[in-house]
Amino acid sequence: MAGDEGAARRALRMAAMSAGVSGSYIGYLVQRMFLGEEERAEKLRATHARAGRQMTGGLLSLRGPAMKLGQALSLQGDVLPEEMLAELGRLQMEAPGMHPSLVRAQFRSTLGRNPEQVFAEFDATPFAAASLGQVHAAVTHAGDEVAVKVQYPGIGDAIASDFRLLRTVSLPAKLSKVLSAELLDELEREIVAETDYVREAGNIEFFATGLQPLGFVSVPAVYRDLSAERVLTMSRLKGEHLDDVLDRGPSRETRDRIGANLLELYYFQLLHMKAFHADPHWGNYLFHDDGSIGMVDFGCVKYVPPRFVENLRKIFLYPGPRDSDEFRALLAERYSLYGKRLGDATMRALVQFSERFYGRVYPPDDDERAFDFSDAEFLRDYAAESLRLTRAGGALPEYVFLARAEAGLYQTLHRLGARVRTSQIVRRYLRD
Amino acid sequence: MQDPFTDDVPPEPHSTPAAVRPISGRRARNKTATRESIVSAALELFESKGFEATTTREIAMKAGVAEGTVFNYFETKDDIALHFFEAEVDHAIATVRADPTLKGAALEEKLFALVHSQIEYLAPYESFIGAAFVRALRPSSKLALSPRALELRARYLDFVQDLIEESLPKRRARQLGWIAPQAFWIYYLGVLLYWLHDSSPAKQNTLAFLDRSLRFGTAFLREGGI
Repeated sequence: MAGDEGAARRALRMAAMSAGVSGSYIGYLVQRMFLGEEERAEKLRATHARAGRQMTGGLLSLRGPAMKLGQALSLQGDVLPEEMLAELGRLQMEAPGMHPSLVRAQFRSTLGRNPEQVFAEFDATPFAAASLGQVHAAVTHAGDEVAVKVQYPGIGDAIASDFRLLRTVSLPAKLSKVLSAELLDELEREIVAETDYVREAGNIEFFATGLQPLGFVSVPAVYRDLSAERVLTMSRLKGEHLDDVLDRGPSRETRDRIGANLLELYYFQLLHMKAFHADPHWGNYLFHDDGSIGMVDFGCVKYVPPRFVENLRKIFLYPGPRDSDEFRALLAERYSLYGKRLGDATMRALVQFSERFYGRVYPPDDDERAFDFSDAEFLRDYAAESLRLTRAGGALPEYVFLARAEAGLYQTLHRLGARVRTSQIVRRYLRD
Repeated sequence: MQDPFTDDVPPEPHSTPAAVRPISGRRARNKTATRESIVSAALELFESKGFEATTTREIAMKAGVAEGTVFNYFETKDDIALHFFEAEVDHAIATVRADPTLKGAALEEKLFALVHSQIEYLAPYESFIGAAFVRALRPSSKLALSPRALELRARYLDFVQDLIEESLPKRRARQLGWIAPQAFWIYYLGVLLYWLHDSSPAKQNTLAFLDRSLRFGTAFLREGGI
């Protein structure tokens, strides 16, 4: 065992070295998190008690690769201890800001010309950080105000080499259980996909078309001729971030309307579009007093298998008793989609989750009832039941991103203190 | 024989007293044009055929001049290569000096702009640069240690030292003066090697490496223990 750990340590040290050269995210993270594992074991146990809070709180502040790794680790193993979360938080700050000369070099390497040639105006100072780069304000020659996202160079390669390394390292047994080969594959696909801005442009266009029926959602327009793999030019959306809305002390009516729209937006995506925006970071939503919502940053989008959605539709607002055989059969069906057989413990955890949380927040027999999200208890229940389910071995690949999007939704509804007719909204999307 | 590179106008073969008279502007321009067409023909051949395999006859044919004319301008292929590297350094220095946004920029950004403009200049001739690297290791080559090569390096490193002096506190810059430019030269050769070996799309890793290493390096220059 000691020999194994020595090998792992050396490999992780190599990861740390490569971090110094071309910028490694996960290599750096793993090194920081696990090299001193023995010394920290005691501390970790002590912090686990506070874990539930982090699932709905701290994790939501993470972005990019760190967010995804954190989310995956929290769902697969035990919920992240606070100090790991702190490491993850530090990690996402690692992508350094780009000075104007680097932005221009990156721009030239992607679009073949300097930003000053491509745009009528280009602000060399970024106005926002993106998960893998930074965002600049610009004006097109036609006079449109746009946001230009420029990716930090070499991100895709750094991530790929991180994963290569993670796969070759013989990780300590405890860790390899958490970072399974399947999970690494899923994570790598997702994280690498996010580095392709052409794909993101496709996501934006997919959502722009798909969300039209809702009427109250706007997404940016993509300027394809001013975009490529590492540069993405979009129209700038107007609106306020949640904190600014709340600072003005909005009326009950406004809060309820925004809340209802957010909930509808979530279920419209999941149940109707079968794809959802999986990065509920506060910076990605813009609000207006009439309840309309602007959505930005479609790097992290999850497309859901239709059969999974079919199953969700049957389970949501299930009218009968949730410990019935029929309900259990529906749950078993969902897991069988992934070739998993449901054990007793997992089944019990699922039924309990459904009774204690979903049945209460989404009453199946009362579409007129508005659930009051200002009640903090529901958030605690959600975190506790999620944790219980994960510990009972109930995590599915889809949950990595679903849980994040859902937790983000509840967090926002809670901060708004919104009262929403949850079941009435969900019922609209139970049939196609 | 007069060194053609210390003078704007290379001497004619069998020079007569007439050839040393002041030469008209047009004639000088023609000379420059001929020289540049020889250099660009040579570089295309160095890149496509390889430096060693390219003959003077081929260069002359591609440039549309007589083979003897090539020798009037350049004694050896190394001299053509050096001429190209001189133009590259001139271009890089001019690029940094001409960019008004770099005036108040941090040292790492100025050095980034300098090295990156060199790499962009060299990019079309990547395999030739690789060959030049190997060739420069030979004692007989003019590329590394000839007076002309040393003069070029000194000019480049003087400029680097200028950038350091205008960006760091005077005392610190003076302290570093004896070592920083030399260290930078070794660093620059390392960057070129990294670039030559970089197989990432659009050589993205070179950009990342350049950025990160310059941040680290200039932080050391500012605070490091020399």
